[in-house]
Amino acid sequence: MAKATPDRLRRRSPRMRAAFPYLLLTPALLYLLAITLYPGLFAIYQSLFVVKFLNWTWTGFGNYAAILKDREFWAALGNTAIIGGISLALQTAIALTVAYFAYRDPFIRGWRILYIMPMLFMPSAVAFIWKLAFNDGRVISDLLMSLGLIERNVDWLGNIWLARLTLITADVWQWTPFLFIIFVAGLQGQDQEIEEAARLDGASWPAIFWNISLPMLRPIIVVAVTLRGIDITTMFTNVYVMTQGSPGGATETMSYFIYRQGFRMFNFGYASAASVLMLIMTIIIAQTVVRRAFHSGKA
Amino acid sequence: MASIRLENIVKRYGAFTGVQNMSLDIADEEFLVLLGPSGCGKTTTMRMIAGLEMPTEGNIIIGGEVVNDIDARDRDVAMVFQGYALYPNMTVYENIRFPLRMRRVPASDQDRMVRTAADMVELGAFLDRKPGALSGGQRQRAALARAVVRQPQVFLMDEPLSNLDAKLRQSMRVQIKHMQRQLRITTVYVTHDQIEAMTLADRIVIMNKGAIQQVGTPDQIYTDPANTFVAGFIGGPPMNLIEGTATGGRFTAPGVNAPCPANLSGRITLGIRPEDCTVGGGQVQGLVYGVEPTGDVTYLSVLAGTKQVEVKAARDFRSDIDVPITIGFDPARLYFFGADGQRIRGGA
Amino acid sequence: MARMRKSRGESLLLRYLVLGSWALVCLLPILWFGTIALRPRTEIVTPQPIYWPTWSLDAWHLLMSDWPIALYLRNSVLAVGGSVIIDLILAIPAAYALARYDFKGREDIGFYILSTRMMAPAIVAVPIFFLFKSVGLLDSIWALMLIYAAINLSLVTWIIRSYMLDIPKELEDAARTDGAGDLRILWEIIIPACLPGIITAAVIAAIFAINEFLFTLLIASTSGAYTMSVALANFTGGSDGVIYNAIALVSFIAFVPVLILVILIQKHLSRGLTMGAVKG
Repeated sequence: MAKATPDRLRRRSPRMRAAFPYLLLTPALLYLLAITLYPGLFAIYQSLFVVKFLNWTWTGFGNYAAILKDREFWAALGNTAIIGGISLALQTAIALTVAYFAYRDPFIRGWRILYIMPMLFMPSAVAFIWKLAFNDGRVISDLLMSLGLIERNVDWLGNIWLARLTLITADVWQWTPFLFIIFVAGLQGQDQEIEEAARLDGASWPAIFWNISLPMLRPIIVVAVTLRGIDITTMFTNVYVMTQGSPGGATETMSYFIYRQGFRMFNFGYASAASVLMLIMTIIIAQTVVRRAFHSGKA
Repeated sequence: MASIRLENIVKRYGAFTGVQNMSLDIADEEFLVLLGPSGCGKTTTMRMIAGLEMPTEGNIIIGGEVVNDIDARDRDVAMVFQGYALYPNMTVYENIRFPLRMRRVPASDQDRMVRTAADMVELGAFLDRKPGALSGGQRQRAALARAVVRQPQVFLMDEPLSNLDAKLRQSMRVQIKHMQRQLRITTVYVTHDQIEAMTLADRIVIMNKGAIQQVGTPDQIYTDPANTFVAGFIGGPPMNLIEGTATGGRFTAPGVNAPCPANLSGRITLGIRPEDCTVGGGQVQGLVYGVEPTGDVTYLSVLAGTKQVEVKAARDFRSDIDVPITIGFDPARLYFFGADGQRIRGGA
Repeated sequence: MARMRKSRGESLLLRYLVLGSWALVCLLPILWFGTIALRPRTEIVTPQPIYWPTWSLDAWHLLMSDWPIALYLRNSVLAVGGSVIIDLILAIPAAYALARYDFKGREDIGFYILSTRMMAPAIVAVPIFFLFKSVGLLDSIWALMLIYAAINLSLVTWIIRSYMLDIPKELEDAARTDGAGDLRILWEIIIPACLPGIITAAVIAAIFAINEFLFTLLIASTSGAYTMSVALANFTGGSDGVIYNAIALVSFIAFVPVLILVILIQKHLSRGLTMGAVKG
């Protein structure tokens, strides 16, 4: 038999060994730094200027001073929190309820595909669906009228809360499936024996869910809601398509505020200052909430 | 085709010491078994021989060469893993060929070598299957074939049989030993199962808490244990170890009274194997705790004071529980250990 | 044995009431939007909504004649496909390092990668706009490709990392003693063993890239680099108002391949969406 021995013995220095994982990470890290660190530094730099087209005028912290006194900025922050908070609470509640009824159903695969569909439409298309349903096509008003709930056609952009409601509806409709899929997977992954033991102990079905399944699902709920919450705070597409911030800025989110300042009013320095503030908030949230969520959710 | 020498090996993980100051000579063509409970450092020792871990201190010498900083891939060591570690995306054939391919064995030789190895473990008919389509025993044999195919200098086996059922384990044991004798390759085999150790080994190394407790042939380990740890680890059921007091040539403990060498005194431990105990006789007075017939022998547990004494009784022995009973010891087969757990030899 | 309740009946009724209603909530808007795609423009924005329209293929004819729909599709496929390939090339080694090597700063580097996913696109929109403007990449699908890759890189890395963690360490040890080096182990053992994870990551990244809106809007300001998503938003029709039937048709054209992809990876979807934190 031919003998299988290497022609030479490779001796690798411990230093080479230690460096290897960093080498593997380098390309990805460089790429990510290029799209986070560079824009971050650029935004900080630009935020110190008043930018009018190619004309950059030093203003120091002038933009920041102005923003912190800008009622539109604070309104955008508040709107993001209000619209996002209500939307997130609604989708979590709906997704949990539906998941509770669906996860042991024999037709779960079918339900899941049905329920996923809204999520698979392009967000801009979804925004158009609801823009048409609420405003242009008057379908929602018509349906409510035929149910006898209202008497006249509703101008959904004529009232702060109605306008916010249209954004919330679109977001809940499209993204409840995200939470639903994760919750169902979490519930299906749970150890059936624990549930069966509880049933033999005489617990009713809702009691089992409330006392056993839900607490066991907690880490998964935390991760899923955190991820969804982050995405909601970046809400832009629906605002752009459906309301453009009206009425009176009541539906302007942080992302839309930055977009409007930068690309509608061409106050790039001002927009950059807002970006830096939002970045700081993101980092704080990431370092506290998200880090913890991902630690508890890790298997 | 190589001897292995471990010189003062130490392996530390942070503050934890996995292996402490271990020295060992493994002869060429020897079948050596590292035996011990989980976490005793036996697998770590093997992984250091394989090159998958670096010793913190000390030298590993294979075939006369210090291999500390030689990569696992170049040590010419083959390893069989507990979970078989077959590559799931490759067929059995490709699995067995993989080490040949990695070592650039001429393509013309590869096919022949793969088939020889597969025939050796009777897997010739399964070469086209993926590991997922094999039974546990077949996977084990495929892993063996992958290890033998390149005729390595050293075989390492890490609990290779622990995922198999009892019957299969017995037949694989025989096959492994046969193969090792046939190929004459130095083999280090890690297990926590003393039966495997006794049946396979030329020599057994018993480890506990990262240190060697005793090195010896299976016979030596069985008949001449160095300390209570070894005595309590070997045998099925293992040796009874009864703590008591020695005075004036008698050993006493609650419910136990036995002769002992006159020069012993104070707190000592008496050891007696279940197979050296008989029902009837005056050394133990207790109550029957449980009876386990197995067919060829009946295991009897007797409660003496607070201590259970295990006895290998005749196959037809039967009793209700809580019945008074006496047990006798074969006086020639008594072992005594000092308070430090070390064997007290000679004596009488 | 005093009272044995029959608990099945009422809960089943309630169950199917809830499941059925939510199915209607999900489906009715889609079906209704489907009818929009198949009706003439005159029957869309009307004082009184029309639920049963006169069926017509107006939208289809409009797409075929006025909109370079094939170009949009091609742009979408190129930009999205290219971005996914970039992501896989960068993410697989990074995920391997995070999953398998013990090195200083691993936790922090891993979390930094994760956290880039949390940054709102709007935060970097202005700098990225200036960056691409300065290197002359505005209006190009190359810019879109790079941006999409950047947006999804963290997601792809974390999904693949999660699947790599599931591969038994023994497999690598075996390959190493068999004589394979690090890169060969990655290529011949690890990548085939976590292929489902890689496919899942690719599909989810592709969907997010297709859906990306803000950057596409900013970067692709002329129609040369329009993708399906921006074409939709921008073709609000100017003086003609929003051309809803064409928009609906385009969104269904984009919906079908996405649905197929998702059904293919259905089992892995929850794990992918949570970047591996929840094993489905």
